[in-house]
Amino acid sequence: MRRLEGKYIAITGASKGLGRQLALDFAREGAGGIALVARHADRLYQVREEIRALSPRTRVLALAADLRDTKAVESVSAALLSEFQGRLDVLVNNASTVGPSPMPYLLDYPLEEFRRVLDTNLIAPFLLTRKLLPAMIENGGAVINVTSDAGVTGYSGWGAYGISKFGLEGLSQTWARELEGAGIRVNRVDPGNMDTDMHRAAEPDEDPTQWADPAAVTEVFLFLASDASRGVTGRRFQAQEDWRAVADEALRESAAEAAPEAEPAGREG
Amino acid sequence: MVAQSPIRFTLPDDLSAHEPPEKRGLTRDGVRLLSTDRREGRLIHGRFDRIADFLLPGDCLVFNASRTLPACLAASVERLEAPSDGFEGRVERAAERYAGSGAGRRLQIRLARRWEDGAWSALALGGGGEPWGGDLSGCRLLFSGGGSARFDLSAETIGRDPLVDRLWKIRFSLEGAQLMDALSGLGNPVRYWYADGPWDLDYYQTVYAREPGSMEMPSAGRAFTWKLLLDLRSQGIDTAFLVLHAGLSSFMDQEYDAGHPASVEPFRLDAPAAARINRAKARGGRIVAVGTTVVRALESIADAEGRVREARGSTCLRITPGYHLKVVDGLLTGFHEPEASHLDLLSAFLAPEKLGRVYDEALKEKYLWHEFGDVNLIL
Repeated sequence: MRRLEGKYIAITGASKGLGRQLALDFAREGAGGIALVARHADRLYQVREEIRALSPRTRVLALAADLRDTKAVESVSAALLSEFQGRLDVLVNNASTVGPSPMPYLLDYPLEEFRRVLDTNLIAPFLLTRKLLPAMIENGGAVINVTSDAGVTGYSGWGAYGISKFGLEGLSQTWARELEGAGIRVNRVDPGNMDTDMHRAAEPDEDPTQWADPAAVTEVFLFLASDASRGVTGRRFQAQEDWRAVADEALRESAAEAAPEAEPAGREG
Repeated sequence: MVAQSPIRFTLPDDLSAHEPPEKRGLTRDGVRLLSTDRREGRLIHGRFDRIADFLLPGDCLVFNASRTLPACLAASVERLEAPSDGFEGRVERAAERYAGSGAGRRLQIRLARRWEDGAWSALALGGGGEPWGGDLSGCRLLFSGGGSARFDLSAETIGRDPLVDRLWKIRFSLEGAQLMDALSGLGNPVRYWYADGPWDLDYYQTVYAREPGSMEMPSAGRAFTWKLLLDLRSQGIDTAFLVLHAGLSSFMDQEYDAGHPASVEPFRLDAPAAARINRAKARGGRIVAVGTTVVRALESIADAEGRVREARGSTCLRITPGYHLKVVDGLLTGFHEPEASHLDLLSAFLAPEKLGRVYDEALKEKYLWHEFGDVNLIL
């Protein structure tokens, strides 16, 4: 049995890098439907064709939109919910922008660019999630937010990007708490350094061969999207670290909460 | 035959909710709740966010999760077929007459229903929102608006609606996700005279709406917030969702509306929701419909024992005084206009004299009517 058999999934930033890789891996695991969202239609259509070749039974929707535009968020939501008949099991908020390259110090940061980064990396996931959560209220589901090391530590030069990811970390934690009783789990994943166009643009002087291929970091996403992670919420995972230890601990805690009356194992007398 | 309302009253203008509660300084769930006891007819005034006071663990609230479409579109008319009777000129003259001098041949098109084969029924109105009686056969409608040239959407008329002759059947140039995308960009929510607006589509959605398809908001559940829904669940009150795509409630002609009291509306109840409803019922819980659409859908599929099953179809069920409710025990609904067919449906829950007292009280206490207004729980 494949891990995502029949699941309906939406991925933003799905035309390249990590988003594209997730779409391919989710399709391989039997996803029933995948909605790909990104700005560039041509690249999206390419990914759609790749998925069709890999998994002909997966229904693929390619939705070209710039999610900074709130009307586009509504369009994408309406199109996706209509085509999937109100069903969505997994949402991956992956789209993000690093802002100007080379990255200016905060004091030098143009206000318009600062807003653009926050709109893309923080406001858009907030709005999109809010519009799509109703599809999960009855049967539960998973929201996975893609964060970064720069979302927990302030690095000089990572200005608006880092700040937007700090916000996304808070958004994830708050939502996880608020949705505890709804069967909707909200987790965040720091994929670590990856060799993507975005990373190359952010750090043009670094050697990209030291960075991971996106294909090497998707396992934790597959876990979080699948029913195996039921009960795991509000957690932060690092894809290139020992994320399984975090997962195991979360699963143990979830099981203990679900059975509060049970006798502790190994208790004597 | 024109339907007779079970009760009579006059609704003063100041009792129409002109704007969403959020624009009146209230929260979504801060509207008023008039609770009515079905047996005793006893009335209790309260606030909607205290609705849990009237429910018991084991009760099951059933919601309509249909999402509202921006079903109102601006269109210009283009003739496709050669006229045999000077038809083109007639369309142009009529459209111009209704659209005012500057706007050219512009009509307001309100989507009324989507057919299984992908065609839609639509109501044509003049630029001022008045009924437009012109002939649209053999025409193409070109849609524009939304301040964007991104959408290239048109539709061809394919005849009159066989059930409601005031409506035209049309076929859009796009379908599926592309059509939804274009409607989101070009359309606006259907708005009636009492709404100050225009309000953004988000104001016309319930927080749990998940499947686009209603021409007007199934508004009875508008006051629910996520917090309230989750609080109710934690108190042991179950929730189940079905989808019924609501059609247009008015053809902008009172007499015509009265002659067409119950439209045919598509709905779907999935197996898990049906099981939830049956389980609640079997354990003695009350089934509370959030909105008249839910009553129609559930009563359409209930068997004699009041059990429901997974279903996908259309309902044209018209519930009138004396109807024996098979599955639904209670109803949360807004306040309805004097001539509305909804009042017939309400009188299946409350005898007309008790219903009359509810409405007298609501008028006296200045409850607000319509989709942004206050609500009535009949249980």
